[in-house]
Amino acid sequence: MSEERETRLFMISPRSMLTPDQLVRMVHSFGDKALVKETCYGCLVEAPREEALAILAKVREKYPNEVFSKIRAYRCSDPRRCRAQHGTRPGFAQLEEEWALLSKIQYGLEQVEAGAKYNPKPEKKRLDVNAFKKICEVQ
Amino acid sequence: MKIFIDPPNSLVLFDLVERFGHEPLSTMAAIQERVDNLEVDMPPMNVTLEDVVKGLKYAGIEVPSGVRGRLALWGPLIEQADAAIIMDDCPYSFGCVGCERSNLMIKYLVQRRGIPALHVKYPETDEDAVNFVALAKEWMEGLK
Amino acid sequence: MTIKIAQLSCGTEYSSVQYEIEKAARSVGATIVYPDVSAADIDKAVEEFGFKPRSPQLKLMIARAAELASGRYEADAVFITTCFRCAEAALVRNELRRYIQEHTKLPVVTYSFTERLKASQLLTRMEALVTIVTRKELLARERQTGITVGLDSGSSTTKAVVMENNKIIGKDWTPSGAVVIESATQVLNNALEQAGITMDQVEAIGTTGYGRFTLGQHFKAKLVQEELTVNSKGAVWLANRQKGEATIIDIGGMDNKAITVRDGIPDNFTMGGICAGASGRFLQMTSNRLKIEITELGKLADKGDWRNAKMNSYCSVFGIQDLVTTLGEGKRFEDVACAACHSVAEQVYEQQLQEIDVRHPIIQVGGTSLISGLVTQIGEVLGEKPIVPPDSQYIGAVGGALLSSGFL
Repeated sequence: MSEERETRLFMISPRSMLTPDQLVRMVHSFGDKALVKETCYGCLVEAPREEALAILAKVREKYPNEVFSKIRAYRCSDPRRCRAQHGTRPGFAQLEEEWALLSKIQYGLEQVEAGAKYNPKPEKKRLDVNAFKKICEVQ
Repeated sequence: MKIFIDPPNSLVLFDLVERFGHEPLSTMAAIQERVDNLEVDMPPMNVTLEDVVKGLKYAGIEVPSGVRGRLALWGPLIEQADAAIIMDDCPYSFGCVGCERSNLMIKYLVQRRGIPALHVKYPETDEDAVNFVALAKEWMEGLK
Repeated sequence: MTIKIAQLSCGTEYSSVQYEIEKAARSVGATIVYPDVSAADIDKAVEEFGFKPRSPQLKLMIARAAELASGRYEADAVFITTCFRCAEAALVRNELRRYIQEHTKLPVVTYSFTERLKASQLLTRMEALVTIVTRKELLARERQTGITVGLDSGSSTTKAVVMENNKIIGKDWTPSGAVVIESATQVLNNALEQAGITMDQVEAIGTTGYGRFTLGQHFKAKLVQEELTVNSKGAVWLANRQKGEATIIDIGGMDNKAITVRDGIPDNFTMGGICAGASGRFLQMTSNRLKIEITELGKLADKGDWRNAKMNSYCSVFGIQDLVTTLGEGKRFEDVACAACHSVAEQVYEQQLQEIDVRHPIIQVGGTSLISGLVTQIGEVLGEKPIVPPDSQYIGAVGGALLSSGFL
């Protein structure tokens, strides 16, 4: 991975009360080397890798369960991925879907933090033939 | 540990792997290497003819070029992974994970490498999500 | 004005060909765009479309097509492209082409690529898309006026036509030589002599075919245009089918074209990849082997029955192998000639005509339309004998002369 730059997207869970504007202002206060761009889902941050990771750690500290992050291959405003240039690229629909899922993941993180453990539901099994036969006979 | 995520561009999996103390191996990193490499300028992704030819390592010439190009990105990631986390029945998979055949190959390549792999189900409800997060956390803590 | 070509595709970025697609579009003054869709639109569009592919990217293609069909997203033309050898994508590609044609008036071109795709392979197709959008008024032209010349620099032959007041008054052709300007000058001079006209009386020149740019520059042509649109104009003029619908089949020396027209304006086309097995070149090779002139092959074929000498020109190399085998078995020349024509007809049917909705009548043009056996076999494969207009080998030149008169 490149040590030169890291571009990250920070996405706010739909369950959170945090706004992209608040997030951007907070990130700005963390470091002056970072380029921060507000987006509809949160923000894009571009900085040398170490600083980007430091920002991530601080965001996690402040909002542990409601802001999510992943790296982005392209720099901020790269025309190859800029929606204004040619319309949405295919990954856009995925981000939209994942954004919706974050609400549940936030809930999951909060519950696990509060002590919830993995508790699998029993697998659905096919109805036993004899049981099914009985149901048919009753009908 | 280096953990390969599937879908390889997933925000949720990338975030959880990093959050629970491991290094996620993702498409984004593979593309970034190419995007930042100005020696080859083949926009938008700088996936080159050479990459697609390299994909022959994973699938024969009778396999469509798009599958081979994708495998050329993911194959090396799977090869360097210590473990993998796979979300089965993922209802969203666009962008690089838009080809179902390539996606099937990823799961197979992970299986063939024999590394520890956690299969998680896409959470449909809040209750599912608690299990999803708890299972991922327990598994990743166990890897350390 | 930049023409917006909406791209519906799967696999281009991972096959290293997206750059080539965009380069081809740029070189003809167009730009590639992607109709915007949200995640919620995708499931709905796929449900309504009714074909539910497993690959999400193909679902996205369907949703983007639905955006174009609804008019919510505006584009000037559509380019549908997927990986060669992907069956799932091939089904979606073809059905989306049909869907776009049924729901919009946008010109569509489909293409299946390999990682070896280069911009030059797409150039003629992209240029034709742009021509259809930007030159609608010119393409609607039905009569030639003044004195104009059309030059068609094809892969096998070079043709010239001189027209005056909607009539052909001079014409000539020659096999294309190494220097396209020399071949063109030769046929032009002969056509002018036949017409009794001198070069300074010519008011406009139109060039088309592979050598169009070189000829256009050399002869200071007013019109330099790809052969898809020019040929279709020439075909409907020669067949006197300017109104209504038609399908034009042009089996060339190096590639094949199938074009559908409505009121003389092309609205869809397919162009075969360079394949000797499905082109006139295979028939030339057959006649060489039979030691007869190509002009005799058609008549000979009409006397034979292809069922007696099965041949498959899927590839010219293997096709010739079949030819050698059938001749070795002592089959009749008539049957072999007929089988060669049938094989090319089948290839054209399988490679081109599957990608367009064949409309009636079918007009067969180009040099190969003079091979009567091939026309018979196209008719047999399609279940309807094509119309072959007079001077059918001059479509490109006639189209060039007709359209260039629009600049007077």
